[in-house]
Amino acid sequence: MRPLEERGEARDGAARVVAVEPVRKRGGRGSLERERRQAYWLVAPAVLVLAGVALYPILAAMWLSLHRFILVFGEKRFVGLGNYAYLLGDARFWSALGNTAYFTAVAVSVELLLAVPLALLLQRAFPGRGLLRAAVLVPWAIPTVVSARLWAWMFNPDYGLINRLLLGADINWLGAPGYALHAAILVDVWKTTPFVALLVLAGLQGIPEDLYRAARVDGASAWRTFRSITLPLLKPALLLALLFRSLDAFRVFDAIYVLTEGGPANTTETLSIYAYKTLMRSGDFGYGSALSVATFVCVVVLAAVWLRWLGREEVAR
Amino acid sequence: MVRTLVCTFAMGLAALLAQGCQRSPESGRGDEGVTRLVLKYQPLWGPPEPFRELLARFERENPGVTLVTEALPNSSDLAHQFFLTALGGGAGDFDVLIADVVWVPEFARAGWIADLSEAFPPERVRAEFLPGPVEAAVLAGRTYAVPWYLDVGVLYYRKDLVPRAPRTYAELERYAMDAKARVPGLQGFVWQGRQYEGLSCNVYEALWGHGGRALGDGGRVLLDTEAGREALAYLRGLLTRGVSPETVMAFGEEESRRVFQEGRAAFMRNWPYAWSEAQKEGSPIRGKVGMAPLPTVSGEPGFGALGGYQLAVNANVSPERRRLAAKLIAHLTSHEANLVLAVHYARNPPRKAVYDDPRLKEQAPFIASLREMAERARSRPATPYYNLISDVLQSEFSAAVAGLRTPEDALQRAQRQVDHLTGEDR
Repeated sequence: MRPLEERGEARDGAARVVAVEPVRKRGGRGSLERERRQAYWLVAPAVLVLAGVALYPILAAMWLSLHRFILVFGEKRFVGLGNYAYLLGDARFWSALGNTAYFTAVAVSVELLLAVPLALLLQRAFPGRGLLRAAVLVPWAIPTVVSARLWAWMFNPDYGLINRLLLGADINWLGAPGYALHAAILVDVWKTTPFVALLVLAGLQGIPEDLYRAARVDGASAWRTFRSITLPLLKPALLLALLFRSLDAFRVFDAIYVLTEGGPANTTETLSIYAYKTLMRSGDFGYGSALSVATFVCVVVLAAVWLRWLGREEVAR
Repeated sequence: MVRTLVCTFAMGLAALLAQGCQRSPESGRGDEGVTRLVLKYQPLWGPPEPFRELLARFERENPGVTLVTEALPNSSDLAHQFFLTALGGGAGDFDVLIADVVWVPEFARAGWIADLSEAFPPERVRAEFLPGPVEAAVLAGRTYAVPWYLDVGVLYYRKDLVPRAPRTYAELERYAMDAKARVPGLQGFVWQGRQYEGLSCNVYEALWGHGGRALGDGGRVLLDTEAGREALAYLRGLLTRGVSPETVMAFGEEESRRVFQEGRAAFMRNWPYAWSEAQKEGSPIRGKVGMAPLPTVSGEPGFGALGGYQLAVNANVSPERRRLAAKLIAHLTSHEANLVLAVHYARNPPRKAVYDDPRLKEQAPFIASLREMAERARSRPATPYYNLISDVLQSEFSAAVAGLRTPEDALQRAQRQVDHLTGEDR
């Protein structure tokens, strides 16, 4: 049903372009040129601003990362790839990378798993749906630093809410090496599941009702309907959520910084926190920049992988 | 309607901008020969008037000088970050700045703060101020900062639960275990074991208590030593033997204070600020708390980690402004100013003579009682590289306290990394 519609639209669009073309031609090549040039001028400010705020810092960081530049030492010396050579042998870097990857993988998968049923629930028509939709978004709306502080108190093993809810369990959430990273994951899941659910909900609403009606006529079970209609058609939305969230989670800083500052024993230290501490606390701008660039490269690789996968899915469709 | 609003807004914005432009020549030298002197500091908690009056007196005594105070973030980390970027970038728009004890050597090494030896000869500073703050302000025979107020790590104990303040670690442990056995749900000894600067303070206090030193001859940061291993083993042992709850690994100052404040711990290591909280009306432990120097192995009074601030002069400002800045520092660190800060803001005076002042005993008896502990306050390693290495210290100390690494292992790793970081420059 849908492909037909789409094809129809495309033909329609093409027809319109054809109709427009002669009009432009009558104005001559010059006016088209002028229009194009005008377009460049119109985008130029935006491009310049982007280059200034996005490109320049990236390039500056890359340039800095090739130097030995520690503020206290007061000298800046070109060392080429020296910082990167040190990075490859730096156990703390690898543990931070491991923590970041683990955090991203677990947090994003849990968020996706929770978001789908949540979105299905939110899509249903029932009294008070508007209220519930708004309520679900509250965790996402609270600034991360505030919610992290909130959770830090709730995680307090002695008088925190969490252990009390677990009937007086004696779990040392933020102090024990095995628990702290999971506690941070829990905070991230609590905070961003609503966002993922919203993305999924948007995907759900794009699925034509007719398909479900047809499935009902064919006597498909609810599970079968979900497997054969909802899930496949939801795939683009899920992939988009996966892309957004994993890139975001990979750069996680604020929540963990407030909860544990990377402790105990660096077991919750992510790449961003390690880079921040090296840059801003130690004043080691050279190595800190190398760490930021490494993080940047990781994010770019991750984005490339996801986009490729996403792109292929789109083509297959 | 909308257009009027937009117009008003735009005009307002323009007016603001114009005003901003007009104001800028004022900084530095003004039109009528008025010099603006800028003090960059963390506002003191308390009534604003006494401090304002202190500043006003300086203005009266130095006609033609206007004092401007600019607030820093309250977190010491963020304040340090500010100075790192501002001073590192050569900012000259503030004259006098506060510096934490561990920043002075760093700023001096980087050439960011001025040598004050002329206005404050090192011998005089040594004679007038307590040894701990002097250690942080006088480096290699030159004065780079002047102590403003200090903070020191102390031991709190419950007078109703333990017989007396413990002098040795063994006594502390025995009293804590006894109290725990008698009172269900009670914790023994709470302190700051989270991976942050507070942990380093606790570790250094244990190190001094075991007879160790932070710095060796020649200024090398000492970590992998017998006393270092004993200190970390002692802190880890507090957890494994149940003297301290495992949860101290998540505790900063406030978390530990809350447990103690609710009456759920027999001992606490903290800064003096916790005293006034404990004595507040409605506090469950009001009147039941004692304060003492930290214990040691030998039983002599222990050494508390030194906190608090020094005043220094931005090296980027002109010599003329530097002279004025030194005058302001002399005013703010005078005997009288020490007294104002003690009485109105509960800040411990770094001047020895203030502790003998009857006005202190009368108006701030609590601060007067801290004399012995203030005298024994010690600085964490006074090295230019402290902020460069403190991250390494925090993570290795944390690993040892959490039991992830043995003290030997953690200290060897820390020593290796610290020697690598500091060795590069020599």
